[in-house]
Amino acid sequence: MANPSNNYYDLYRHGSLGVALTDALDELIGQERIDPQLAMKVLTQFDRVIAETLQEKVKARLTFKGSLDTYRFCDEVWTFLIRNVTFKLDNGGQMVNADKVKIVSCSSKKNEEK
Amino acid sequence: MSNTTVGPVYDTIIAEVINAVRVDFEENGVDDGALEDLKKEWQHKLSQMKVAQFPWDPKPEPQAPPAPAHAQPTAPPPTAPPTAATYTQSTLSPQSAQQTLSLPGGLLPNANPMGIKPEPGFVQAEPAIKQEPGMQPIHPGYNPANGARPTAAQRAALALESQYGQRAAASINAIHSGMQINPAAQPQQVPRPGQAPQQHMNPQQQYRQGVAASMQQRMQQVPGARPPNGLPAAQLDGLNDATDTASGPGAVHPIMMDRAQIDEHLHAQIAARAKQMEGGGLMLPLKEATKNRSLPEKPRKADGPSQLDGLDDDVKSEEDDEDAINSDLDDPDEGGDDDEDDDETMGHMMLCMYDKVQRVKNKWKCILKDGVLTVNGKEYVFHKATGEYEW
Repeated sequence: MANPSNNYYDLYRHGSLGVALTDALDELIGQERIDPQLAMKVLTQFDRVIAETLQEKVKARLTFKGSLDTYRFCDEVWTFLIRNVTFKLDNGGQMVNADKVKIVSCSSKKNEEK
Repeated sequence: MSNTTVGPVYDTIIAEVINAVRVDFEENGVDDGALEDLKKEWQHKLSQMKVAQFPWDPKPEPQAPPAPAHAQPTAPPPTAPPTAATYTQSTLSPQSAQQTLSLPGGLLPNANPMGIKPEPGFVQAEPAIKQEPGMQPIHPGYNPANGARPTAAQRAALALESQYGQRAAASINAIHSGMQINPAAQPQQVPRPGQAPQQHMNPQQQYRQGVAASMQQRMQQVPGARPPNGLPAAQLDGLNDATDTASGPGAVHPIMMDRAQIDEHLHAQIAARAKQMEGGGLMLPLKEATKNRSLPEKPRKADGPSQLDGLDDDVKSEEDDEDAINSDLDDPDEGGDDDEDDDETMGHMMLCMYDKVQRVKNKWKCILKDGVLTVNGKEYVFHKATGEYEW
C-alpha cells in the first residue's frame, strides 16, 4: 500500500481537509505522541484516499466562467488566477460568484499510470 | 449551489484515512488513543473552518463563539489606558457626577468617603478603594481627562495641591480655569457633553471624577502594589500615567498632523504660484515640466469647498503623481499587486486535476475533474468541471 500511494498528488493537502489534518498531526507531534514519520504516512494515505474518494464517490458537475487574469504551466501543473468567476453546480441552479479564484490543477494522467 | 455533499464525502475520507493508518500506528507502537485523538482533532479543526455542514457536527451548526465583550464597561481590561475608565465612568453614570456636586465636602482633598461615593455603580471598585483609604488624597489633581495635556500649569496645580492641600485650592482653581479656556483641545471631553457644564462650574469635581475612575483602574491593575500612604510615589505614578496617555493617542499627534497639513497647504500654494510665474511650466526643462504638470491639480482641489478635504487630496495626489512621473516605476508595482492577489485568493481556491486545457486565441477552455473548491468560506467538491474564460 505504501508504494503505490506515492503516485498520488499531495495538492489536496492545501485544501481545508488537508490543512485540518496537518494541524491535527502537528499537535500530536508537538505532544510527542507520534513521530513525524508516522505523520508523513498519514498524509500519504490521505493523498490516496481523497483522490480516490473524489474520483469514485463524487458525482457533481461544475461549470464556471470568468476572465482569466494569470495562467501558468509549470512542471505539469496549471495555475490559473481567474477574476469575476461564476460557478454553477448542476444539482442546484444557484450560482456562486467570486472576485477571484486561484485554480491549481495537476495532470490527471499521473493518476491513471499508477 | 449547495455543498451538502461535502460533509459526507469528508466524513468518508476521514474514516478511510484513519482506518488505513491504524496498522501504521500499531506498528509504531502508538496507542489507539492517539489515533482517536487525531480523528477528533481533525474533525474539530475542520468544523472550526466552517466550510460545510459535517455529520459529526451538532445539527444546528455551531456558530462562531461570541466575540468577548471588550466593551464591558465596569471591568475594563487591565491594559486599557486610564482614559477608558474615565470615559465609561462619565458616560454611564452621569448621576454620580451630580452626587459629587451635591457633596458639601467635595472640595476637601482628604474627604475620603466623599470621594468614594461618586461611584456607587461600580461594585468592583468600591471595596478595593475602601481597602486603601490613604489613596484618595494622593492624586486629587490627577485627571486623565485633563491629563491629555500635561501642561506646566497642571503640574503646578498638582504640586500645589499635594503640598498645601485645601489651602491651595484657590490658586489651583485659578490655574485650572486658565487651562479650561479651550476645552475642545481635550479629546476626552468631547464625548461627555452632558457633563461639560458641571465641569466648568467646578474643575475640582472634574478632577474627582478622573481620580475615581483612575483609582478604579489602578485597583484592578495593581491591587496593593503601592504603599497606601506613599504620597510622592503614588503621585508620580499618576503624573506619569497622564503623560503616557497624552503622548499616546492624545493631544500630541493631532498637533503634528496639523503641522504636516499646514506644510502641505503652504507647499501647494507656493507650487501653484511658482507655476503661474512660470507661465504654465513652458519655460522649464522637460523633467521639471513633467513634475509641474501634475501640480495644477492640487491647487484646483485645494480651492474646493472644504479646505481640509482638499488638503488631504493633495497629499494623495502628490504621492500618485510621484509615481506617475516615471511610468517604468509602475510596472513593478503591478507585479507586486499580482503577488498580493495570489495571497489574497488563498481563501478562494480550487484544487483539482485537469483533463484538458485548450486555448484558442484568448479563449480558454478547461476540463477539470476530482476537485475541491473553496469559495466564499464554503467548500464544494466536484467530479468534473468545465471552465471557460477569456484572457
